[in-house]
Amino acid sequence: MTIDLVHYLTVSAILFTIGVLGIFLNRRNIIIILMSLELILLSTNINFVAFSSYLHNVQGQIMAMFVLTVAAAEAAVGLAILVTFFRNRGDIAVDDASMMKG
Amino acid sequence: MDFNLALHLGLPETILAVSSLLILVFGAFRGDKGMISVSALCGVALIAAAFAAAFGHQGAAFGGSFIVDGVALFAKVAIYIAAVFIIVLGQGYFDRVGAGRFELPILILLAALGMSLMVSAGDLISLYVGLELQSLALYVLAAFRRDDAKSSEAGLKYFVLGALSSGLLLYGASLVYGFAGSMNFHDIAQSATTNLNVGLIFGLVFVICGLAFKVSAAPFHMWTPDVYEGAPTPIVAFFAGAPKFAAMVLFARVLQTGFAAQADQWRQVVLVLAVLSFVIGALGGLMQKDIKRLLAYSSIANMGYALLAIAAGAVGIPALLIFFVLYMVDTLGLFTVQMALSRKGEPVTRIDSLAGLSKTNMPMTIVLTILCLSVLGMPPFSGFWAKYFVFGAAITSGLWQFAAAGLVASVVAAFYYLRILKLMWFDVPAGDMDKSPLETRWIAYAAAAFSFPVVIVFLVYVYPLAQSAAQGFGS
Amino acid sequence: MRLLKAPDMRPVFNSEGLGDLMNAFLLQYLPVIIFIGVATVLGLGFMIGALVIAPKAPDTEKLSAYECGFNAFDSARQKFDVRFYLVSILFIIFDLEASFLFPWAVSLFDMPNGGMHVAFWSMVTFLVELGLGYIYVWKKGALEWE
Repeated sequence: MTIDLVHYLTVSAILFTIGVLGIFLNRRNIIIILMSLELILLSTNINFVAFSSYLHNVQGQIMAMFVLTVAAAEAAVGLAILVTFFRNRGDIAVDDASMMKG
Repeated sequence: MDFNLALHLGLPETILAVSSLLILVFGAFRGDKGMISVSALCGVALIAAAFAAAFGHQGAAFGGSFIVDGVALFAKVAIYIAAVFIIVLGQGYFDRVGAGRFELPILILLAALGMSLMVSAGDLISLYVGLELQSLALYVLAAFRRDDAKSSEAGLKYFVLGALSSGLLLYGASLVYGFAGSMNFHDIAQSATTNLNVGLIFGLVFVICGLAFKVSAAPFHMWTPDVYEGAPTPIVAFFAGAPKFAAMVLFARVLQTGFAAQADQWRQVVLVLAVLSFVIGALGGLMQKDIKRLLAYSSIANMGYALLAIAAGAVGIPALLIFFVLYMVDTLGLFTVQMALSRKGEPVTRIDSLAGLSKTNMPMTIVLTILCLSVLGMPPFSGFWAKYFVFGAAITSGLWQFAAAGLVASVVAAFYYLRILKLMWFDVPAGDMDKSPLETRWIAYAAAAFSFPVVIVFLVYVYPLAQSAAQGFGS
Repeated sequence: MRLLKAPDMRPVFNSEGLGDLMNAFLLQYLPVIIFIGVATVLGLGFMIGALVIAPKAPDTEKLSAYECGFNAFDSARQKFDVRFYLVSILFIIFDLEASFLFPWAVSLFDMPNGGMHVAFWSMVTFLVELGLGYIYVWKKGALEWE
């Protein structure tokens, strides 16, 4: 069996779905949400690199570099906000994040 | 050499990028006691960038990934000026609550830089990088009051949903890239006309969902009321205006440049978003008790009108530009009034607390009355003109049913502004108001004066400008 | 800007001379195999060396969890200091920026002359920006543990 474009796209779609479901079905804590967000970004990276190789077009790989960087920045900002949240609450359970409703 | 041309075109962004880095180092050496000078420097940088944009050249640079056309320049000037006002408001606000840090104006500067990249985006890479630069700065700004539980919760919610929407958008972008074979909007348009396939449509839907999240159009609006309630008020005043302007211009550019040939397909999606937005914005606002939540629903409804302008196609672009400038001034004024009012040092957050304002604080009552009348679309205030242009464009392109629906929604929404007016003028006051801080008073007066009569002069000069700016957009 | 051709990453399959091509293809991965081999030999060598050479005299003190001279008093799965988060945040950011250097370093000398200058100076600009960020972090005292 040869591994062609469709396989890469399938893997990436599966990872993307796991990431999105991880955000919506997760009832435990916010670190898991951060991990799911990373999973989403990295699954799109698989798409970009696979397309780049398939199309012989380097732009996809450039985009992948940018996405990696943005993912790192996003993780940093997310962790920082999480720390301030933790300091105010003493907990990072998702169910607690509901002071505001209406 | 075309590198020089690129530098000319990117002058406003270069000014912002270089000055944000230098001011950051300057601020690090001065510490938080230097916040006022950092704010001043950031303001100067933004004004310089606004001048560079106002007198800038038009063209495209970096292989078409950076487009400077009339719409981009118009949006940039508006965004930079809005950012200057936010810096002034933020400086005063954070000083008073004792959470002043010199990073605040720098983050606003970086967010403005991201927005100006967004309005100039000519391919998927600059779209994504600009969007993320803006979003990351805004996440931090939402959580800027570190000791306030509500602010950090707002930051967290905004971060999670914002990052999710960026993820959706990015996944869509990857599909569009793969099935169109290029990142560039023009190449995408070409490939979409000759060879439209399921992958491309799928990608487009994801991109639309991501952008709808960013402009908080229903049904992707869930984060808006919570974030508006929790985040610091000057920051919310920023959220409500400039980032949405940038995202909306980007929205228009992706659809009208990248998918110009599929206008019939995406128009239906955009119209659904628009109708849902102004219906949910109008109905959701009816039950709100918190001023900032009410304004959140009001902004959702206004995003519906802006989407209607996009759905109208090329004739809608000047209407979109004018609509956003007028809307930005109105929301800035409304949030400033909220900042200006406090009772015994506690900020006024509930709508009931506005009762009898006319007996305790007459100038603010008049300002709020003018702004409420303007937002509910009473002629001759600016809100009326904003809706007039949008509905006019919609009717011109044959979307008169949707314009009528928008009109009905704005009549429903008028109810909650009339409730505020009644409370202020006819009810019994709950106690004396504190004296409003200086800068909030002046900005509120200026916003009210703009709403009427300055808006007439403004329209006479700026409407032709917007029209000529929109010329050739998307081609 | 001239676009670089992405390297063809698909394996080459051809009915004629398939064996030769496969050999040539696999030969490219020879350094990786050598690395894996060296790593395995080195790792196993140290472990076996320790087993053979080290003196063995086990008692309860030695086998208990080592906690800076204290008796172990708590589970290891505890909330830990927020300062670790700060370090990890800074690590994430500065670590990843280095990944821009690799493609740049590989392709810099393949650029045409004019492009090479632009590429060189744009990387210098990037590193200066990174340096300014580093100065900021340093001045904010984020690098000090206490």
